[in-house]
Amino acid sequence: MRFSLLVLLLYSCLLSHPHTFIEVYPKVKIDKEKRINITYKFDEMTSSMLIMELDANMNGKIDTNENRFIKREYFSMFKPYNYYVFIFSNNKKLPTKPENFKATIENEKLCYSFDIFYNGKLQDLYLEFGDPDLYSALVLKKHFIDAPNISTKVTNVDKDFYFVAKMEFQ
Amino acid sequence: MYNELIRLITQWQYELNRFIASNIKELKDESSLSTSLLIIAVAFIYGLVHAAGPGHGKALVAFYFTSNQSDYKKAFKMGYLISLFHAVSALVFTFGIYFIIEKMFTKNFQAFSEIAMSISAVMIILVGIYLLYEVYAHSKEKEQVIKKTAKSELMVAFSAGGVPCPGVMTIVLFCIVLGQYTLGILSAVAMSIGMGLTISLAGVFSIALNKKIGGALNKYAYVLQAFGALLVISLGVVLLLAQSQ
Repeated sequence: MRFSLLVLLLYSCLLSHPHTFIEVYPKVKIDKEKRINITYKFDEMTSSMLIMELDANMNGKIDTNENRFIKREYFSMFKPYNYYVFIFSNNKKLPTKPENFKATIENEKLCYSFDIFYNGKLQDLYLEFGDPDLYSALVLKKHFIDAPNISTKVTNVDKDFYFVAKMEFQ
Repeated sequence: MYNELIRLITQWQYELNRFIASNIKELKDESSLSTSLLIIAVAFIYGLVHAAGPGHGKALVAFYFTSNQSDYKKAFKMGYLISLFHAVSALVFTFGIYFIIEKMFTKNFQAFSEIAMSISAVMIILVGIYLLYEVYAHSKEKEQVIKKTAKSELMVAFSAGGVPCPGVMTIVLFCIVLGQYTLGILSAVAMSIGMGLTISLAGVFSIALNKKIGGALNKYAYVLQAFGALLVISLGVVLLLAQSQ
């Protein structure tokens, strides 16, 4: 096990470097369910490649069938990477269970949108966005966050072999 | 400090990627020479920065030159050879997948690159074994310097550059989709040359280090050369093991 981890670690250092850039747009809605909607917006070059193959009928939008296909064949590929979002409550890591997945095309960019739900106090929660394999770079800026009446903070955190964008609630 | 550098490199790449994409999209006419040249120049810088991150065979090149008293020209020659292989492999893969297989680009690319990576890892091991053989073959000679053969240089360059870079492929495909074929090819070449230059610097650094400590360790030249070969072999083994997981 340790050997496997070492190999993977060395491998990620030897081969990885970001090829895909994903902008992260979190939207926080305070209601009974405490829903946090996260939208991943792919860079233009990656988007053009993905749209070419995912918008099968080439009508410029993602239809229901295409959405189902993307969720099954493409979004599921993010699962081993925790869907690039690590959720912590009171510094304890929670499992990432994305719901209501929806793929869209906005301004020629491919977007993946999904919800996560959290029942605890928002102040105890923080999210970390990143790819431990460094294949994708997750970009989160303060003005990407849509959280009315909620104060948030964004920092870059060094995880030894990769970086995460940390989003905290205050 | 290393991680901060990686973060900066990533940030620059993000900006360069956006710049290239928006300029290519705005370029309606390939005869707009100034914009085309700007895109090619930025693609070169993108390649330079892109290869500065982890990967792209810098470790292989550094290990290759660990114990060889080569001159700096060799490192740049290696960089250019790697550029050549990088550009050719990216263009062949992209045009091949796009025009022959036509669909499922990313999935096919992933499958092809896994095969290419395994082949590359095996080649790296073979390079290491060949370097060990060279040490053995020269061990009875008086001269303590083993001249690197063109064959081993080519093998190293092919191992590092033969696996197409997804970054280069993405630019090429983006240009193909927008009908900018010539620009796609030239951008791929420019980006590959940029990457080759950065990779060369890993070799230059290794040679400089070798020159600095080489005098003191002259008596152990063969041991050092064997050590360099073993590092190359272990690099290949790590890559192969990771591919099989």
